[in-house]
Amino acid sequence: MKRALQIPYSRRRYRAATLALMAVYVALMLLVWPFARGAHGTPAKVALALLPVLPVIGVIWLMVWRVLHADELEQRLHMVALSVASGVVAAASLVGGFLGAAGVLVRGDLLIWVFPALCLVYGLARWIAARRYGTDGCE
Amino acid sequence: MNNRLRELRDAKGWSQGELGERLGVSRQTVNAIETGRYDPSLPLAFRIAKLFRKTIEAIFDPGE
Repeated sequence: MKRALQIPYSRRRYRAATLALMAVYVALMLLVWPFARGAHGTPAKVALALLPVLPVIGVIWLMVWRVLHADELEQRLHMVALSVASGVVAAASLVGGFLGAAGVLVRGDLLIWVFPALCLVYGLARWIAARRYGTDGCE
Repeated sequence: MNNRLRELRDAKGWSQGELGERLGVSRQTVNAIETGRYDPSLPLAFRIAKLFRKTIEAIFDPGE
């Protein structure tokens, strides 16, 4: 029988790594990303535009690591939260897509909000689910 | 599902965190099982039974 051990040290390391990656993301968004539009040549534009995605991929990898190393109740909480977040964001994306197709919404940067919205709804749903099981939801 | 986990843990003098470490789960999971808010998986139920040297039925009661 496989056990998923809880290691407080790793949890602290997870938080520190997440904060560091998010700091890199914010720095790239403030210092590098604004130059993407003015860059010369498509390769440079693409590189500058996509640079902030790298730390986000790191955060996603950390989230996967966290879920894989969680115990069974925590994995259930993650699953419930991800299901709710996926459903809510999928519905919101559908609404945005229809409004965009109808010409009501013409903003091209709308997709940028999908990941933050997913994280926000996931965090909220996980907190509610954790309370249901009598845990504080902030672990 | 009712269970005797708290009673058995108290008899051993373990905290929820200590029991969690022995079972490979978090303190929150032990608490959720003890309060009846979460029913453990079969592998975890077997680990609990093995730790306390009892059968699963002697610890967990499906109730009515």
